[in-house]
Amino acid sequence: MNEVKKDIAWRVYLTYFAVCLFGLAIIVKAATIQLIEGPELREKVQSYTLKEKNIEAVRGNIYATDGSLLATSVPIYEVRFDPNSDAITDEIFYDEVDSLAFKLSELFQDKPMVAYRRSLVNARKEGQRYHLIKRKVKYTELKALKTFPIFRRGKYKGGLIYIQQNKRQRPFKVLAARTIGYEREGVSPVGLEGAYSEVLKGVDGKRMMQKISGGVWMPVGDDNEIEPEDGRDIYTTIDVNLQDVAESALLKQLQTHKADHGCVVLMEVKTGAIKAIANLKRNQDGSYYEGYNYAIGESTEPGSTFKLAALITALEDGFVDMEDMVDCGDGSKQYYDRTMFDSNHEDGGWGKITVQRIFEVSSNIGMAEIIQRSYAQEPQKFIDGLDEMGLRKPLGIEIAGEGKPYIKNTSDDSWSGISLAWMAHGYEVKQTPLQILTFYNAVANNGRMVKPKFVERITKGRKTVEEIETEVLVEEVCSQKTIDKVKLALEGVVENGTASNLRNADYKIAGKTGTAQIANRNYGYSYQSRVSHQASFVGYFPADDPQYSCIVVVNAPSQNVYYGNLVAGPIFKEVADKVYANSLEMHDPLQKQENYLASSPIPYSKHGNKYSIEKIFSELNIPVKSKAADADWIVTQTGDSSVTIAPREVQDKLVPNVVGMGLRDAVYLLENQGLQVAVEGRGMVKTQSIMPGRVAKRGMKIKLELS
Amino acid sequence: MQYILKYIKGDRVIWGVSTLLAIFSILVVYSSIVTLAYKYQGGNTEFYLLKHSIILLIGFGLMYFAHKLNYRYYSRMSQLALFLAVPLLLLTLLTGASINDASRWLVIPVINQTFQTSDLAKLALIMFLARMLSKRQDHIKDFNGAFVPIMIPVLLVCALILPANFSTAAMLFVTCLVLMFIGRINLAYIISLVSIGVVGLAIFIAIVMNSNVDSRVGTWKARIENFMDGGSQVNYQAEQSKIAIATGGVVGKGPGRSTQRNFLPQAYSDFIFATVIEEYGMIGGIFIVLLYLILFYRGILIARNAPRTFGSLLAVGLSFSLVFQALINMAVAVNLFPVTGQPLPMVSMGGTSIWFTCLAIGIILSVSRHNEEEETTQNKFSNG
Repeated sequence: MNEVKKDIAWRVYLTYFAVCLFGLAIIVKAATIQLIEGPELREKVQSYTLKEKNIEAVRGNIYATDGSLLATSVPIYEVRFDPNSDAITDEIFYDEVDSLAFKLSELFQDKPMVAYRRSLVNARKEGQRYHLIKRKVKYTELKALKTFPIFRRGKYKGGLIYIQQNKRQRPFKVLAARTIGYEREGVSPVGLEGAYSEVLKGVDGKRMMQKISGGVWMPVGDDNEIEPEDGRDIYTTIDVNLQDVAESALLKQLQTHKADHGCVVLMEVKTGAIKAIANLKRNQDGSYYEGYNYAIGESTEPGSTFKLAALITALEDGFVDMEDMVDCGDGSKQYYDRTMFDSNHEDGGWGKITVQRIFEVSSNIGMAEIIQRSYAQEPQKFIDGLDEMGLRKPLGIEIAGEGKPYIKNTSDDSWSGISLAWMAHGYEVKQTPLQILTFYNAVANNGRMVKPKFVERITKGRKTVEEIETEVLVEEVCSQKTIDKVKLALEGVVENGTASNLRNADYKIAGKTGTAQIANRNYGYSYQSRVSHQASFVGYFPADDPQYSCIVVVNAPSQNVYYGNLVAGPIFKEVADKVYANSLEMHDPLQKQENYLASSPIPYSKHGNKYSIEKIFSELNIPVKSKAADADWIVTQTGDSSVTIAPREVQDKLVPNVVGMGLRDAVYLLENQGLQVAVEGRGMVKTQSIMPGRVAKRGMKIKLELS
Repeated sequence: MQYILKYIKGDRVIWGVSTLLAIFSILVVYSSIVTLAYKYQGGNTEFYLLKHSIILLIGFGLMYFAHKLNYRYYSRMSQLALFLAVPLLLLTLLTGASINDASRWLVIPVINQTFQTSDLAKLALIMFLARMLSKRQDHIKDFNGAFVPIMIPVLLVCALILPANFSTAAMLFVTCLVLMFIGRINLAYIISLVSIGVVGLAIFIAIVMNSNVDSRVGTWKARIENFMDGGSQVNYQAEQSKIAIATGGVVGKGPGRSTQRNFLPQAYSDFIFATVIEEYGMIGGIFIVLLYLILFYRGILIARNAPRTFGSLLAVGLSFSLVFQALINMAVAVNLFPVTGQPLPMVSMGGTSIWFTCLAIGIILSVSRHNEEEETTQNKFSNG
């Protein structure tokens, strides 16, 4: 048995030896990790526990043309507190925690003082370094917080930590809401917010954050690693006052007629600047809201407003003239299997009338006859004519979601024998309200079609970074001769045609009414009849010197009144009246202004630097008689046909004579001699408080009076 | 204290080592439990602290009862335990609850406690082996008389554990081989068995590497690949563990100051040794290694003093098994071995592991208690 025990013993010791080696290997390996791989690993720790997090840049503002804020980002803060900051001793903490709790309770009014005190004291006892005070704190509240006990000890000593977030707000709420738009994650961006997102959003900054238990990220240090660069601001063309008028006029009319939706766009003729753009849609409960940008997005058959395009094409191609007589018959006419009606077909129709009259009374049969007669042989020529005026192309505006225009082509499958006749009065084509308006604006602008413009300029702080130029889409939609003719026709519509209810004594409106039938499937079952109507009015004013163009479209007025002049016209009138009242340049001056001509054709000049003055006169081609060959500083004398210059003595160390000089030159001369200049008034130097020729001493004060 | 000591018999050093390990366990588990607590208990770390402490208390209770029992009873009980363990292993393999995609656990009905059957099988097999070896000492070098009847249960149990838990099976197999070596089985048989094992393992690995089966085989494959590639495809767990060790330094960050616990998966179990070094430094790490070496050394002393071969082999086998598992766990943490799921006995969180560890220590203590009693009676005999 002893033999066995001995045999077992050496085996056990051998095993023990092996186990000890194993243990040693573990310790050696651990030491290797610490000593050899250590530095590299310790650096890696940072990448696991620390992370660079983005700090959202403040999104730029959107302004109206007058500088009113349409959309802005309001900062809100998450406020936290490090109650165990090294600088906060027990003494400081317990001395001031009561008043801090009191102040917090007073500011936020959400918890009693004792509750605040308890949570602060607990936070300190638990060793928290990132105690949440409150979320969604406003800027003004944050400013107040910084003055509170403990916190007011400053950035490092006070333990106050705050993280900024930004919230988008529209101060005018519904006003132009769809055009201003929004940008949200996961939703395709809307309006200008979407179109100018890159400009508005700026560049995000970066900040080191540390992960603490519970997966909360806490900022490390007090400064950002990379400061965020705030977004740029955009100034829109929208005029808040006109926008307001447009929106309320539209709302009133939509309510009166219980219409499904409608839109108004007001545009500056020369620049294409959109001054107002309102879209309203009826809710289930009968209220209206900006739910969709109909003006931009809704492409429909425009109806009679399209007659202008048809007429221009026929005029350009020389098929008709305004005085030609056309037979409109008894108000109804058969085209293959379909009958076309005029609005007065129950009263026997228009009979034989001129082209001008056809346009004024908006005779469907008349227009159809003109186009049918002109283009029956070669319909493609009509289509090409419309195409050349840019009616087939989208406007290419920056706001997303523009409705596609449609002009039926002869090659289309749906082309039929009645297509020409129907296109003549605005069917079998599709245009958005903004596209129609752009076309009318081109007529008002003597044939030059400009792209609608929503943004004037982009600024950074107060500096303009980019001016948005007006873009020309079509240099000339038609000849000036044609323009003159159709302008008269458009004026005729208001003076003695379908829109005579818009006529007024103050200023002349030119435009066209439109009443289109629309298939009802778009509007659901709430409308009982098979078709509904789209009433519109588009035009410009003042007719003799067009400044603004405007379109009003009201869809599916559910009452019996659906004609363009009655439904859309009043909105146009209200907007136009407001614009007229606000724009001085449209009013005829009360008294003709006299031209006050200067007694001499040669301009008067201040004294000053010879080189600058000579340069200006030579640019203006004004002869200069020089008596100062090589002087730097000169006096000028204005004669009847030329300017005489003579030297002005300027000597070093002496106070110079600066009377008669501009301020820039005067200050330059005086400060060169070491004098301190005080200035009063504006214009040219009249007197100087130290006589010329005195010895100039450094730091002497001299006062200049300008006038 | 005196009162407690009066009831505690057996090797005092082992009692001390166990207590120190338990204290370490509570400290480190409490610190590294944060992520688990946030995941399941809404940040309530006390819940886990309480649960862990209760588990340890029950464990010490088991240890106490185990050491009170005469160790000769364990010979017969090992047989029973093995007969119980084999069907249980089968049951687990077929119906077991899976944690981390390995079906190693059996849910005990009524008390609804998960239970790792391999822990029971491990203890039973080692005890059974001690019994077999001691009974066959007379013809121990015999092939048919000793080697074969001893090998059969070993292979059976290991084969049953293998599909669900490769590392435990391998570890148990190595433990058995060492025990057979100590128990004087013919070395030539053992060596030839190891050779067969190595070839089998090679074939097994080859099959694994070339298979595209999901589940556990996939995990093994990935682990082996990760370990072999080392630098190129960095293993996240190993990397985090190394960072924990590297940032620990000589004296560590201090209790509860671990930051890697947020990134280390199983910081409270498989990688607890990394957390120990992070918080208590190299000093803490060496201390833990020494505690286990001391445990084994005391086990050897007990074995040497044991009058019967069964007692010797029981003490050596159990203490070696514990220490070997501990060293494997630590070797994984320091990236000496590929990642396996071995807990650190007595320290890692987990009910079954701690309880079976306590039982094993209790049995070793029972042997030592018996030695002491025999010594005193012998002393009395010689004196009187």
